[in-house]
Parts: sequence; structure tokens; C-alpha cells
Amino acid sequence: MLDHCSISHKGGAVLWSRSFTPAARTLAASAQSPVNSLIREALIEGRTSEEKYDKDGYAIKWTFLNEMELIFVVAYQRILQLTYIDDLLEAIKTLFLKMFEPFLTTFVASLHAVSSTTITTAKSLPVGAANWDFRTVFQSWDRVFDQVLKGLEAKAASERSSRLKAPAAAIETPPADDSSVAPTLSSERAVDEQAISRNVAAMKSKMRGGSQRAVGRKGAKNGGYSSGYGTASGNELPNIMFDSSDTPGKKKASKVMRKWGDQAPTESDMASLDFSYTSESTSTTGNQSANWKELVDEASLGVRGRDGSYEVKDWEFTEKGDLVSQTLATVGKQPGKPEKTTMGTLGSMFARLTGGKVLTDEDLKPILATMKEHLMKKNVAKDIADRVCDGVGKNLVGKKIGGFTSIKSSFQEALGASLTQILTPKTSTDVMQAIRTKLASPLSSTSVRSPYTMAFVGVNGVGKSTNLSKVCFWLIQNRLKVLIAACDTFRSGAVEQLRVHVRNLSMLTNDSPDLNRGSVELYEKGYGKDAAGIAKEAIAYAKENEFDVVLIDTAGRMQDNEPLMKALAKLVAINTPDKIIFVGEALVGNEAVDQLTKFDRALRDFSAAGSGGSIKGRGIDGMLVTKWDTVDDKVGAALSMTYVTGQPILFVGCGQTYTDLKQLRVANVVDALLAD
Amino acid sequence: MASPTPDVISIAAPLSLSSSLIAATAFVLALIAVYVYTRLKSRVKASDILILGASDAGKTAILSSLVYDHALPTHTSLQTNFSVVALPNAKRPWRVVDVPGHPRMRDQFREFLPQAKAVVFVVDVSTVARNGLLVAEHLHQVLHAITSLPPTQPTPLLLLLAHKSDLLTSSATSTAPQVAVTRLTTILERELEKRRVSQANGVGVEGLGEEESEEMGGLECAGAGPFKFAEWDGGEVTIIGSWVDVDRSDKSINEKEKVGTEIQSGLQDLRSWIEQLS
Repeated sequence: MLDHCSISHKGGAVLWSRSFTPAARTLAASAQSPVNSLIREALIEGRTSEEKYDKDGYAIKWTFLNEMELIFVVAYQRILQLTYIDDLLEAIKTLFLKMFEPFLTTFVASLHAVSSTTITTAKSLPVGAANWDFRTVFQSWDRVFDQVLKGLEAKAASERSSRLKAPAAAIETPPADDSSVAPTLSSERAVDEQAISRNVAAMKSKMRGGSQRAVGRKGAKNGGYSSGYGTASGNELPNIMFDSSDTPGKKKASKVMRKWGDQAPTESDMASLDFSYTSESTSTTGNQSANWKELVDEASLGVRGRDGSYEVKDWEFTEKGDLVSQTLATVGKQPGKPEKTTMGTLGSMFARLTGGKVLTDEDLKPILATMKEHLMKKNVAKDIADRVCDGVGKNLVGKKIGGFTSIKSSFQEALGASLTQILTPKTSTDVMQAIRTKLASPLSSTSVRSPYTMAFVGVNGVGKSTNLSKVCFWLIQNRLKVLIAACDTFRSGAVEQLRVHVRNLSMLTNDSPDLNRGSVELYEKGYGKDAAGIAKEAIAYAKENEFDVVLIDTAGRMQDNEPLMKALAKLVAINTPDKIIFVGEALVGNEAVDQLTKFDRALRDFSAAGSGGSIKGRGIDGMLVTKWDTVDDKVGAALSMTYVTGQPILFVGCGQTYTDLKQLRVANVVDALLAD
Repeated sequence: MASPTPDVISIAAPLSLSSSLIAATAFVLALIAVYVYTRLKSRVKASDILILGASDAGKTAILSSLVYDHALPTHTSLQTNFSVVALPNAKRPWRVVDVPGHPRMRDQFREFLPQAKAVVFVVDVSTVARNGLLVAEHLHQVLHAITSLPPTQPTPLLLLLAHKSDLLTSSATSTAPQVAVTRLTTILERELEKRRVSQANGVGVEGLGEEESEEMGGLECAGAGPFKFAEWDGGEVTIIGSWVDVDRSDKSINEKEKVGTEIQSGLQDLRSWIEQLS
């Protein structure tokens, strides 16, 4: 069912991973592994708050364990509707932390050396340098993971009730003889009682006829997450055991409802179930202080007494442990919250002073709200502000903040880092380098060097033509021969506007004493013609006359106007420009998201359709933000635009003259966004 | 209503003049001590080795084999790793800083550069022929940052690591690491020379309309010819080959034994280079 699962440190080291198919294994070992794509395209771009990430037919889900800086990732085929992934992630997160906490603490500390003088402390840590054998350490984890996965799959199967698989799976699993049971925190007596009763129940269910099975199945369907009603078959057991969302009270009710056949064993089973709740919660408390080694010993003790139906039990207890273990501080959100509230303000203040304050959702909520509002005041689109802040929050929950740093300041610091990452381009913004590379690329003897083409697209009135002429001026300064293709055949005066620009630019270059100067020409065909055709002719003309760069000016259009968007996609598909530059104004607010998403999608969809769908559609390659000088410090549009597309802002237009073209300074934008 | 002022005086009165003086001097002394301490701390000796390089070049694998003697399988890093590496023959333990290579995060190296004793720039030689342009752009930024450090700070040593050299086949005359070093040198020198030429002739976007444009330097050479690492103005550049064999979980035990020794040999040159640092 699953394809790949991995547990790794945020620094990049994979602690444990498993691929379930050979294809996934080879893929996971390569640089294009699903985990890598997830990190590169989702996490680094601040999309942490999203639920799921799709890539190449895989759906990828993840969760963070921030106190240990771990990421848990599960990848599976997207077509599968796996309902248990969230539970699986939560479960392995809790279990992994419980089993390996001392080791993980040491490991994380070893990746956060403050200076080289801390070497002494690093050596004296409980897990010495000799013990860095990760495979031995995590050996026991394999079995635990198997059990968890098996249990959840069984539960999902019973929920789907396609076959009577769940009880069979629960019983026919081979005896577990491993030391991985450390985190079960169960009392053996309860285990045995339950196991026996389960065996009995399963026997009965097997002995009964098919009609009764069908009833059982139906019941199992009802007995899923939503309903608390018990069912009349062995199916019920896994349901109860794996149900993490039901409250214990509901479970009790379900057991009372259970009445079938000759019922003596079930009663005792019920009793043992009830007993296990309490005993287990106490054992949880007891184990909190136990260190890892002790846990292992306990586990090996436990192994001797275990019987066949062990692993389901194991799973049940840990899952319940998740529900009940309020005593476990800082594990997950569920156990963490109640603890914090009971501690009170005084306690949390004290914790903060001693540097052990662990951030919770509750702590962050007010700050998230204020920071979202703050970003929106800076003209960041609401949607983007929400997503960015939620992403930062998700990265912070569970982190310890030390000393006298307030939550707000640590949040702002994290937000600043996140904004820097979002705004920093992931591809080269050096357009000149790209142009020179293309012009210098070797050609076969017959082919003619084709020019570097850039298409400027955008909605009406954002300044496409004006900034195109600024870019043109910059190219001329770099001694390139530029051809401007007037493909705005719609708005009256558009061609004349470009003609004026070309005249001005030519005069500027004629004045310069440099002989080896650049030059500019206009390629125009009047109004009302097909823009894609004009662009094609212009490129052919540029090829013949050895122009270096072709700038394609397109007509402005609203993102919702489908015929016009199709026409634009046609232009892109026919001419395949080297860069498609989206021109947007810095004044845009919430609209930025809509504009960019729709332009990007329309270009991708329609240009792919135009070429028979054989090649992948082209999207936007970069952005040019205009009217930058009019917004002062409300530079949120830059953030909205980069977040939506993930593409860099190549230029910023900030004035009325040809020289008013700049590149984005990420640090300045981040400062402006965070400034009060 | 009595004025509060006499109360205040009466509280302060029991303190004699001398004792308050002593308290004041002690306070001032404490302040000075704290100030001196922070100044001393801030002027910490260069003790870091930076590991830089493109994403997926093998930085974190190198770090983990240096620190844990196991090359863990890795994925793209989300945050910087700081680890202390104490090699048996090294003059002192070094803090190794592994900065993520993703373009959105790699600029973080600038804040660690002032404390850097050495910079190890890792290049994946198996893909450098394809990615030469991007690697060169990154390396250019590093070179620029190194050369533009203020003169009061010591210039870090630069090591170019031709990593993953085990993926290349050795030729008749030279071993795989040597092939890797040659390939790395040729490709990166060519790409950096291209960058230098285009910068010398071009006008940056920022330089529009200004007489004196601010350019990204760092590529100056002693000779007049094309860019050569050997003649680089910013200091000495060492180039060595290396590889690690990643400890994948699907390997058998026999292979695992082999891995242990291979890590030693693949990074041997790097280790001895670190050991001679002082």
C-alpha cells in the first residue's frame, strides 16, 4: 500500500527509511526521491502548512517533530485513498520519540555544536562517539513499524469491510519475538487476558456462517471513527483497538452493546479492557523517567511472556497511551496541551526563565493572528499571509525557546528566515548570463543562431510596454541587438507607444561614443492581426538579421478571459520563448494570487493542449514587479507573487526613466515586511 | 496629606555614603567585566570549517562520515548542521558547518564566513559537466564573499572537493580521483572565465544609469590570461578528489564491513587536509 516511509533529521540525515517496492527504492535513492521533492518544492518554499504534496503520481504526507527536529514522511500512490496515513504518522512519531529519545537528544545535540570548544561535552554525552551505529540503534524500530502499519492497515481494511480480513490479520500474524516492544507500556496480565479473549472471539467468528459474517461486516462499517456503537462480531476488536479518535467513554459504551452467542469470554474480555486503561496510564507515568536502556531490558523481559496475537495489542496500547498520557510532556499536541493549561501562567513563566519553555499551539495562536494581520497590512494577500504564518507556526510548535526571548521575537526571527527563503530565487536570476550562454552555445553548421526571446505577459495597465522598454535599454547597454515585436494588436496606440520608445532608445544609443554598441528595432504589423503569427514572423526576421534578443510585447488581458488566455497560450506554444515574464504591479493585493495562478495555469494547460499534450505546458519563468516606487514599505505583492509561483522576481520597475530598473534585494524586502 | 518625599529619604538614610559608594563601584566593575567578556567572546578565533556546495553534492554525507564514521543516507537539508569533528591527528577539534545547498538557503553561508578557518566547496563531479553553469555561479558568490572580507579578518583557506569521484572511471594514466580533479578544474575554470568576461563587458541591472557600477568581483587572477585557480588572487586553492559510500539500509552485512573501510579511504585526502590545518 505504501511506497516509501522515512524518518529523517531536518539537517538532511535520514535516520530510518524503508521502500516497499523496488521502483520506490531506486527512486528513493536518487536525487529525485519523493522526500527530496517534498523538501525542495514544498518545505523550503514555506508551504509547510499544506496537508499533502503531490508529485509524479505520489501523494506525500509528512509531519514534524520539532523538539527533535525530525521529519516523518510517507509516500504512497496518489490513486489510493489511504485513510490511515495521518494516524500512521502520528503513531510512528509518538513511538519513535518514546523509543529513542535519549539517542535522539544526543544526536541533535551533536548537530548543534556552538563552538569547537564544546567537544568535551559532546564526548561525555551518554551515547559516545563509539555508539554512532545508526543501524544497530534503530534495529528494533523495523518491527515496531511493521506492527503499527499492519495494525492500521487491518483497521482500514475492516473499515472498508470489503473482506473479512481484519480479524484474520489480527490473529494470523506470526509471533513477535523482538525487543521492540519497549514502548508498549502495557501490563502483561492485561495483554494475556485480552489476547485470550480475542482468540476466542475470532474462533467464534470463524465458526459462524457467512450470513453472520455479513452482519459483522456491516457492523464493522458502522463501528468506524464516527459511530460509537458496538458490533456483533470479531471485527469489533480491531475497531476498538485502533480507534484513536474515540474517547474511552465511547468505547465502554460499545462494549456494553456487545451481545452475541454464548457470551462468557467477552465479559472477561471487557473487564480486562477496562482494567488495561487504568493500568496502562499508570505504567505510562512510571516509564516517563525510565531511560532508554531500561526500556530495552523491560522489553526483553516482556518478550518471554508474549503470545501469538501480540502486535495488535502492542499497537492498541501505544495508541491509547497517546490518548491517556497527559503525563508525557511535549510528545504530541494532544498530550502537550492539557499539561500546559494545568501548569498555569506561573509555571510557564518559570519554565521560560529556566529556558525550558516549549512552544505550543496555544502560545502561538495570538502571535499568529497578529503577524497575519501585520503581513496583510503590508499588502500581502490574505491567503498567502495565512499560509506563510501557519507554516512558520508548524515549524515552531514543540521547539524550546530559551532565556528571555519572547515568543513573539522568536516567531519573528523564524518568520524572517522563512520569508528570506521564499523570496530568494531558486533559479538563477542572471538574465544576461542566460542570454550569453544561449548565444554562445555551439551550433551545427547548417542551423542559424536563433535569438533569445522574452515574452512579457500580464493584465491590462500594469506597465508591460514601459518596462519592456526599460529591459530593452539595459540590453542595449550590454551591446546587444534587440528586436521588439509589437504583438499588442488590440489596444489602440500600443504600437505607436513602442515606436516612440524605439525612437528614444535609438537616439540614446546614437549619442554614445561606443562603436560596438547595441541597437534596437521595432517589428510591427499593425492592428487586428494574430499576435502569435506576428511573434513568429518577428523571430524569423530576427534570425535572418542576426538580432540577439527578441522582446515580445503582448496585449494585456484579464486572467478570467478564457479566449484571450488561450490566444496567449497559443503564442507561447508556437514561439516557445526562452523566458515568459509576468508583469505585475506592486500595488496589487489579494488579486495577485488570482492573477498569477490563473496565468500560470492557463499557460500550462493550453500550451500543453496546443502541442498535442506531448510536451509539458510552459508556465511563468519569472516576474517583473512594476510601480515599486509607489508602495513605500508595503511590499507584500513581492511575497505573494513569489509564493504563488515559486519563480523569482527578475526585475523591479521603480520610476519613469529607462534607468529605473532594479533587481530585488531580498534582505530589504524582508526588513520592510517585518518593520512595524 | 504628608508628602511622600520624606519617606523616601528615610528609607535611603540608613545606607551610609560609603556603602552606597561600594555598591556603585561594584556595579560598575561588574558591567565592565560583562563588557570585556562579551568582547572577548565575540573575537573568537576562527574555528569553523564551512562545507558549501550545490544541493545534492554530498555535503551532509561528508559531515556524517566525519562525525559518526557512517555515511548516512541523506536528503536535501532544511537547516544548517554544526558538528564538532576531532580527528586523531588534527591539531585541534574543528567545528564543521554544513550549509544547505538549495539556492534559497545557500546564502546563509555569509554569516558563518567571518569565523571560518577553511571553506570546503563540494562539487559533484559526476554531474558537473551538466551543472557547470550553476555550480560556477555558486562558487563565484563564494569567491566574491571570501575576497570581500574586511582585511582585519583572516582569509579562509579554500578547498575544492571533487566529490563522488568513485562514479568516474579511471583512465589508463590516472586514477579516478585524479580524473575527477582534472575534470572539475577544467569545467569550473571555463565557466568562471565566462562569467568574468561577461561581467567585464556587461552592465548589471543595478548599474543602469550610473557611471561606476558595482560589480561582483572575486575572480581576479595574478596573470593576465584566463581564470586559473592556481593564480587566483584570493589565496591558495587546493583541489582534491573524494567519495563516500552511503550506508544504505538494504545492504548486506558483508558489504557493510566493506563500507567502513571505504569511508576511510574515500575521504582520506580530506581528512589529512583537515589535519594539517592549524
